[in-house]
Amino acid sequence: MSESEFEFDDDTETSADNVVLRVDDLQKRFGGLVATDHATFEVERGTITGLIGPNGAGKSTIFNLISGFYDPDGGSVEVNGVDVTGAEPYQVADHGLIRTFQTPRKLEGMTVREAMLVGPRNQPGESFIKLFTSPGEVGEHESKSLADAQRILEEFELDHLATQPATDISGGQMKLVELARAMLAEPEVLLLDEPVAGVNPTLRKDLAEQIRRLNEQGTTFLLIEHDMEFVMDLADPVIVLDQGSVLMEGPPQRVQSDPRVIEAYLGGGT
Amino acid sequence: MADASTDGDVPPEADADAEDDPGYWASLTVAEKGVVAFIGLFAALLVALLVTGGLGPAYFLYIVGLAGMYALLSFGLNAQWGFTGLINFSVAAFFGIGAYGAALMSGSTSPIAGGFNPMYGLVVALVAAAVLAVIIGIPTLRLRADYLAIASLGLAEVVRLVILNQREWTNGSAGVRGIPSFFEGWPVLSTFPEAMPGLEIVVIPGSPILLETSFWSALLNVALVLAFVGVSYFVLKRAHRSPWGRVLRTIRSDEDLARALGKNTYSFKMQSFVLGSLIMALAGVFYAHLNLFVSPGDLDPITTFYVWVAVILGGSGSNRGALFGGVLVVTIREGTRFLNELQVPVGISPVRFVELPIDPAPMRLLLIGVVIILVMRFRPQGVLPPQRELIWPSSVDESTPKTPKSGVRESKAGDTDE
Repeated sequence: MSESEFEFDDDTETSADNVVLRVDDLQKRFGGLVATDHATFEVERGTITGLIGPNGAGKSTIFNLISGFYDPDGGSVEVNGVDVTGAEPYQVADHGLIRTFQTPRKLEGMTVREAMLVGPRNQPGESFIKLFTSPGEVGEHESKSLADAQRILEEFELDHLATQPATDISGGQMKLVELARAMLAEPEVLLLDEPVAGVNPTLRKDLAEQIRRLNEQGTTFLLIEHDMEFVMDLADPVIVLDQGSVLMEGPPQRVQSDPRVIEAYLGGGT
Repeated sequence: MADASTDGDVPPEADADAEDDPGYWASLTVAEKGVVAFIGLFAALLVALLVTGGLGPAYFLYIVGLAGMYALLSFGLNAQWGFTGLINFSVAAFFGIGAYGAALMSGSTSPIAGGFNPMYGLVVALVAAAVLAVIIGIPTLRLRADYLAIASLGLAEVVRLVILNQREWTNGSAGVRGIPSFFEGWPVLSTFPEAMPGLEIVVIPGSPILLETSFWSALLNVALVLAFVGVSYFVLKRAHRSPWGRVLRTIRSDEDLARALGKNTYSFKMQSFVLGSLIMALAGVFYAHLNLFVSPGDLDPITTFYVWVAVILGGSGSNRGALFGGVLVVTIREGTRFLNELQVPVGISPVRFVELPIDPAPMRLLLIGVVIILVMRFRPQGVLPPQRELIWPSSVDESTPKTPKSGVRESKAGDTDE
């Protein structure tokens, strides 16, 4: 009795340990359009997993389903072994999954470091009551967040921009700031939606280096990217989506040479 | 814990709010200098009018009370629209809930519960406004901003028509009379206006300024509204600079981003909406005790329009902008009304008065329109837009590098054309 219970615990523990994100039989329809068609895949802890596929393959829809922005029509999403299917985005974030967006989001009227400070989760200063009952605690946490923000900006070599208006920096820098801010939320798994779209080659290299560095420090990445060179260089494994379902999954070399993938990209179906 | 370092060496620019700071004037932006100059000139004009007897002191205080009331309404809308981007077209309804809450509890002709101490009226009005805000917020705040706008448009009319037609509750169009002063039943303050002697101050021979009972009771009202404005300003200023306010400002720019970063945006929007509605109701409570009579006409949608004008002119998202906008709108609204009766003094001694050649009162809306066009043309973000960086003050003082405070704000004026 106790032995089997132990076995059961052990089982869930190992799976929770290795798999940080599990997408099972996920479905989403928009009217007659099937955007996600029984998609099933897992993201293992500590990897940089690439999610590729031709335009309209349903990559962004899957991101929205995982992060709680869309409610799935069927299937389930597990983050860290917890079922978050149909949960609100903030609840998904509370389980350690943070996402970024394809187009960088501008925060008007904020400086870069101020925009960074939106990142940390569950700040005491986010409780209206605490602003008046325990301003000391709020200030203490704010100082810590500000120091963290400053440190992360330095790691990203963005500290010279700290007091610049957040709307006045370049698109590429904005992408870097988004990544830096997401790190302040201390994610276990970070979903990046086209991190290098519209980013110049120098910053592209910077971004790749930062992602690799953060990955070595323990953050798991799942990234959508159209830039094949970038993905194949960075990601392992790579998941290929086509028409809403998983076409194949594997190391970059195998994916690149697979005839099904080539066919999907060249539109061989028609 | 921040106190230790802030008390030690305060950088001169950190204390820019202090009037007597030597670098104060230099640290202001052009717009701020303009506002300070405007206030100075305006104050000088008021003093001149008071001294020459062109403006009665009790009436002057009544206008100050109205200005405070509009400042409160603007604060309330600023907490909703300026902070969070919630479009609320039912400012007049929440104002009316406040006014009727106070009137129905304390007014002598109230059909349901007259004669209570005004403090009960205050509590009932605030609770009613909060409940109404939650009821309207639950279905609309989960949706896009437009839905709240539409629902609030409807709400304003529903509240007005219920008050107009539910005679057994509200007296309908007859309104509620016999509302006592707010300090009724308080130890010293309730008899303060009667206890004070009538004073006669002569600055210019021949035109004495009379300070009578009406002046002293108006003075009490002004003290009350200043207390309301002061408390609201303190609360909003602290909230605006806090992580709480930062989440609201993130929601205003991009709600999806706030959600992706783990913020429960529905809850934050609800808090912002209720807070703003409470402050609007507070303005209504004050109005009931200022006017001593409320009627459904006080809920006319024009109030909502004036408050929106005040917030947009002042600079959406800025508390001091809302304060300035509220006062400016009352100045234009009441100033033109009273210009109608104004006699311009000519000469010092003896003083003669001359009627204005035109009747300015009907030009009130025209004047407001002209001001809106001018401000939107030259300062699209409003006269006093929010400061560029809003971080919990003690934390900024600790961190390095220091905020280039005036420099950052100076650049603000030029970066609006994107």
